[in-house]
Amino acid sequence: MARFRRAAWLYRRFLGAHLRSTLEYEADFWIMSVAAVLAQGVGVIFLWAIFESIPEINGWQFWDIALIYALVVMSEGLSVLFAQGAWTMSFVVNLGGFDALLVRPFSPLLQVLSSQIGMNGLGNCALGAGLLIGAATHVDVDWSPATVALGLLLVVSAALVKVGLNTATNASAFWIKTPWSMFGFSMHTFGELARFPITIYGVGVRLALAVVLPYAFMSYFPASAVLSTGVAHWLGFLTPLVALYCLAMGAYVFRRGTLRYESTGT
Amino acid sequence: MTAADPVLPPRLPVPAVMRANRSMARTAFRSLVTHQVSFLFGLLATAFAALSMLYLWRAVLANGPVHGFDWPHMKAYLLLTFVASSLVSSYVDYRMAGRIREGDVAMDLVRPVGYQRARFVEALGFGVYELGTGLLVVVVAALAFGGVPGPAGGEALVFAASALLVFPLRFAVVYMSGLLVFWTQNYIGVQAGRIAVVTLCSGALVPIVFLPLWAQDVLAYLPFVGMAATPALVYVGHLTGSEAWRAVGVQAFWVVVLWGLGRAMWGAASRKLTVHGG
Repeated sequence: MARFRRAAWLYRRFLGAHLRSTLEYEADFWIMSVAAVLAQGVGVIFLWAIFESIPEINGWQFWDIALIYALVVMSEGLSVLFAQGAWTMSFVVNLGGFDALLVRPFSPLLQVLSSQIGMNGLGNCALGAGLLIGAATHVDVDWSPATVALGLLLVVSAALVKVGLNTATNASAFWIKTPWSMFGFSMHTFGELARFPITIYGVGVRLALAVVLPYAFMSYFPASAVLSTGVAHWLGFLTPLVALYCLAMGAYVFRRGTLRYESTGT
Repeated sequence: MTAADPVLPPRLPVPAVMRANRSMARTAFRSLVTHQVSFLFGLLATAFAALSMLYLWRAVLANGPVHGFDWPHMKAYLLLTFVASSLVSSYVDYRMAGRIREGDVAMDLVRPVGYQRARFVEALGFGVYELGTGLLVVVVAALAFGGVPGPAGGEALVFAASALLVFPLRFAVVYMSGLLVFWTQNYIGVQAGRIAVVTLCSGALVPIVFLPLWAQDVLAYLPFVGMAATPALVYVGHLTGSEAWRAVGVQAFWVVVLWGLGRAMWGAASRKLTVHGG
């Protein structure tokens, strides 16, 4: 327990230090925030434009899909605010910076994860929260303190799913020896498929999103649990467990990676 | 000699320029294919993006055509705008931004090739790669989704003209957004913002007819639709005859205007350049 408290304290201190250094560049912060809102906002305009012409897609109405979309935006925002460091792995590992992390008395994985703050995070969170609130007031759900608490738990779990998968996919840096996170990025693009109800996809894609790299637990499953719609909507209540599984998978792949890490010889 | 009056490097004779152009383009192309693993995963990322759009639109059009688009023609439209959007994606401005931030751009100032033209030639080199991968993804996607209808008849010439203008137009916009780094020092944000605006306004995400009327009217006269939608609309037969030629005219107009604006912007930027020692 004491070890856990120390790790949490260090993680917060690391993030805090990066936050301060990040905020030194105020213009950067604003540019990144506006860019994040633009990038995700375009997707919302896209959905809205489609729903101006048709009432529903595959039985899903605008605010249902907005809820799924909002969960992806929110997960993206939270994961880059609190664990953006995952994206530095290919760089840190393959340019030799990882050596320094190994000699410090703090878990290398937590050091990596807390080594950056994504400045686009706040923009994503702001837009995501706005959409979530909009969706929550429009969808057909009776909100009580219990369901709100459940909703919040699902939002946090969804973000942790993303953190876990980011860690696992970026830990590919230990095997793929380039300083760019192309594997992580391509899987991130794959995860973007979870912005829409996965029922629109073919069976193979659906299985991949639900089981192989369960990005669908970042959005579709928790949303369908809250809405009580879709096939097997109860699966969404398993999101916290899936989040734990994804985090464990990330930690496992990372540990396997560190075992075969052989520095850069510089 | 003031800062506002930079020394002009000597001009090269024409054959030397051609040789320089060719080798700059070739180097740019090779720099991409050398890293094969990154290349493959980059390709995969692009394929996923195309996949999600195709599936979504298939679901949207499942109950019949919307705004004159049935599913087969929407497929053709999406795949064409996809190829267009893969051109001048981000390599040119990525490299520009890096050199501006690191100060290496100082070296570009003394080279005997104009900065803007050199970047354009480089973009052509990257473009060979982008066109190749874009077409590959599109052909595979077209096969996987049951083929696409052929082009609307009788518009081959206007289609070719429109398709050819896509590249310089995209280059001009990307080039100018890259130059913004001189003022912002930030590149990732500028790029993400530019991609968002261009994707929406060029009709690559959703055909412009799905947007409100006022937006359609405004966008018809902006450079963005010419960056993806125009040739695709000609292909699927939504733009024909004089209307199509007028759209091509708008494209050509913006190529000329933006090329000039780019030069002016480079002039202002290079006077503003600060390089710290080194």
